[in-house]
Amino acid sequence: MTHPLLPVPLQIAACATLVAFFGWVLYLVRFHRLSVRDSLLWLLSTGLVLLFALFPGLLQALARAIAVQVPSNALFALAILYLTLNVLSLMIALSNASSRTRRLAQECALLRAELNELRSEMRSPGRPA
Amino acid sequence: MIEKAMRALVIVPAWNEDRDLPAVLEELRRVAPEWDVCVVDDGSADRTAAVAREGGATVLRLPMNLGIGGAVQTGYLWARDHGYEIAAQIDGDGQHDPRYLADALQPIAAGTADLVIGSRHLGAGGFRSSAVRRAGARYLSWFLRLRCGARVTDPTSGFRVAGRRAIELFAANYPSDYPEPEAVALAARRGLRLQEIPVAMRERQHGTSSIGPARTLYYLIKVSLALVLLPAERRHKPEIAG
Repeated sequence: MTHPLLPVPLQIAACATLVAFFGWVLYLVRFHRLSVRDSLLWLLSTGLVLLFALFPGLLQALARAIAVQVPSNALFALAILYLTLNVLSLMIALSNASSRTRRLAQECALLRAELNELRSEMRSPGRPA
Repeated sequence: MIEKAMRALVIVPAWNEDRDLPAVLEELRRVAPEWDVCVVDDGSADRTAAVAREGGATVLRLPMNLGIGGAVQTGYLWARDHGYEIAAQIDGDGQHDPRYLADALQPIAAGTADLVIGSRHLGAGGFRSSAVRRAGARYLSWFLRLRCGARVTDPTSGFRVAGRRAIELFAANYPSDYPEPEAVALAARRGLRLQEIPVAMRERQHGTSSIGPARTLYYLIKVSLALVLLPAERRHKPEIAG
């Protein structure tokens, strides 16, 4: 399936890289360093790009569909958009995590104070705190 | 004076304040003995927590530095969970004179206000900040009025006394980015009644103000943005949340 858009050696290199990346993500999931939920987006996007590398004609069709003359430009534009969305979703997750951490830190402070009160109450019974 | 039934708490957020804190606590004991005192140690690296304990305060010790917003909210959580009807916040660096607590308490005890703010700009005298920062305060109060109808002259004042409704609100929901003006906006939007009393503030004994003149403008821009982007919520009628 050689194609004028993509020389064969380059195609092989691209596919090998993508497969390795795919395997890395799977490895991360299997060893609990990435949750299945968070891995789905990566697996999906890697699979999609792999498809484009295997069948460059698809990319040409896609470029035509969104009215971009040079197929690689369509790829770059979509890739940048995808990465931007990915970073934003990361920031959302980070904001979420930091407000949870804040709440937990506050709870720690409250519990520690309760504990100290209980302790001093136990040391001097009869004298309410 | 506080009636016997009303339980009142002073929240003192403190971050590395072991030099000024003993005097603040001593003054509180002397001037406002009816108030319970709780120091929120915001992840200090010095002896803040120990000093606070020696000063007879309840210490809420945060495991890390959360910033003033997160620290103050911890105090409001304590106030809410322990059934305080009134919670005041004053800074741990001795800028605020606890003598004004009694004045600030009046409107809340009388049931005419939910949140009382001590304002430097109502003619009580005392330490005045720079002209740039006073202009900034005027701009902010104009903007707050425009944005959510809150009428305050000193929106960045950290001297506040909250009644039951404000305690509930701030315990559940306290802004962390630019907490002072944002908290005013939040309270006004929830239909809480705001009131200001004139207070004189003292020059801090140690350390410098966190906002220099060049940064004031940047601060104002950020706060304005934060106020424009106040959290979306349904409009609340002034009613007491269960």
